[in-house]
Amino acid sequence: MLKAAPDALDGPIVRSPGYWATVWRRFRRDPVAVGALAMIAIIVLMAILAPWIAPQDPYKGMTLRRLRPPGTDGFPLGTDELGRDMLSRLIYGARLSLFMGVTPVFLALFIGGAIGIAAGYVGGWVNSILMRTMDVFFAFPSVLLAIALSGAMGAGIVNGLISLTVVFIPPIARVAESVTTGVRTLDYVDAARASGGGAISIIRHHVLGNVLGPIFVYAMSLIAVSMILASGLSFLGLGVKPPDPEWGLMLNTLRTALYTQPILCALPGIMIFVTSISFNLLTDGLRSAMDIKA
Amino acid sequence: MSTATLATETGQPPAAAMAPPALLEVRDLVKHFPMKSGLFGKAKAVVRAVDGVSFDVKAGETLGIVGESGCGKSTTARVIMHLIKPDSGSVRLAGRSPGAGGLTMKAFRSQVQMVFQDSYASLNPRMTVEDSIAYGPAVHGINGSDAVRRARRLLDRVGLDPLRFAGRYPHELSGGQRQRVNIARALALEPRILILDEAVSALDKSVEAQVLNLLLDLKDDIGLTYIFISHDLEVVRFIASRVMVMYLGRVAEIGPTEQLYGGGRHPYTQALLGSMLSMDPDRRTETAPLAGDPPNPINPPPGCRFHTRCRFAEAVCAASVPPLFVRGGDHAVACHMAAPGSGHSQAGAIS
Repeated sequence: MLKAAPDALDGPIVRSPGYWATVWRRFRRDPVAVGALAMIAIIVLMAILAPWIAPQDPYKGMTLRRLRPPGTDGFPLGTDELGRDMLSRLIYGARLSLFMGVTPVFLALFIGGAIGIAAGYVGGWVNSILMRTMDVFFAFPSVLLAIALSGAMGAGIVNGLISLTVVFIPPIARVAESVTTGVRTLDYVDAARASGGGAISIIRHHVLGNVLGPIFVYAMSLIAVSMILASGLSFLGLGVKPPDPEWGLMLNTLRTALYTQPILCALPGIMIFVTSISFNLLTDGLRSAMDIKA
Repeated sequence: MSTATLATETGQPPAAAMAPPALLEVRDLVKHFPMKSGLFGKAKAVVRAVDGVSFDVKAGETLGIVGESGCGKSTTARVIMHLIKPDSGSVRLAGRSPGAGGLTMKAFRSQVQMVFQDSYASLNPRMTVEDSIAYGPAVHGINGSDAVRRARRLLDRVGLDPLRFAGRYPHELSGGQRQRVNIARALALEPRILILDEAVSALDKSVEAQVLNLLLDLKDDIGLTYIFISHDLEVVRFIASRVMVMYLGRVAEIGPTEQLYGGGRHPYTQALLGSMLSMDPDRRTETAPLAGDPPNPINPPPGCRFHTRCRFAEAVCAASVPPLFVRGGDHAVACHMAAPGSGHSQAGAIS
């Protein structure tokens, strides 16, 4: 073996691409996943740029032009039951729908992830108490739990967010707990303890890097569920309140026009479908890109 | 060396304990694993993984620990490191117990380090090699760039070119290279004792020899003390100056390597050594000296734990636990036949 001169220790070393660089390289080779990512990017851009790209005021209606079919002059996607421009409302609706889909999952990712990682790392009775508490929430079907919680707290965006967050904490905590328990028993965690590392330091340097990936992928897969649940809450009148544009709520109000203008009624449903399937395909692509067998 | 460095079954060193304390003193170490069922389940059975183990490690020596799978070798190592809490017993480094008497657990662990068997599982797959090595020093308050410099110097010391290997991830390295990294990581805190738990067992024979030579070099250069745990009797003979034979969580025999390999006194030691393959084809072993598996450590046999497989077993062996009988010098045997007046018909015969 070559002996490096002492001053060469600061020299340029051969650096391997890190784990996430490798994941990104693999991800780019998956056309479906890249397409899904592009679709989500378009929808997000649409939500951000809504005031500039929407052709009409989404709140301004006129009873004279109710339920016009798509293709009507000036209203490319027709008008809703109050004569408001469907295209503008769908564009603006992306804001609330994405917000209601993504926010609860991220809140639950922080809270549930922290609970699960703590339970998995500490183990023993702490694990039992935390995870059995989580199990209580599993006893209820998620839709029912979300409806019951927002029903009890009353309609509104914030209450909807809270109830959806509560619904997603237990499954994320469970996934976090199981991957952390798996990592906890590996020798490198013991080696880090033998090196004198405290619990917080070991979790930060050795556990998080190895568990965040799988937990994040699982949380991503919940975004689609969250969007559909949020739409469901709005549909039932428990989430977003009229006249705010939100896809689930639009689906609800246009339901009455199902027999006169079925295409209008389907439009918000199509948006929900496209967005949630994009999140699902993105998750699948990410999961397989991260599944690196060394 | 006097008999003062010997441990006995009672946990007290023999009377003439005037010699300076050994570097590491392990006394009456006990670790039982209860097997529970369910949340509030009562322990149905207890695995007696380590059941009253006492021994000393002197500065500068290499103590080999041998025994069959499940005899408690690895548990002993992990309990010494306090990675697993012992149920009872004590571990003292230079006369001081970790967690008391001014020696913090952190300080204790910086002086006693460990290399694990699985070279891959013992390195964080998301960390570069240099970051893995630098983690320990960083935890002990050495600033980042100095810790990285130390890591690179250690890589060089264990025979890996730092410029080529420092930025690599564990999965890009071979088993031998990874184990060199693990050794560098263990050395990063400048320990006095290195516990090698089957550290070369998973390596190819040629790589194993290279790593063993590296270990011998390091020992001479840095003045390390090794506890070398292995099931490979040849390797232990090569590297160890003293050997401890374990059986079902207890010490069967402990003594200088040549004395033990030249003529172990415990019937189990004899059987274990009899299972070694001879280099001379005319002296091949025709029949296995020891049949069957060791008994289950959940319900170990009473008395001498080896009596169920021992051809010299008598009533006294099942009735009482043989203490570690000091045969003089550094050699001690836990067998009724070694102790005069133990009640065994051949008592004193093997002393």
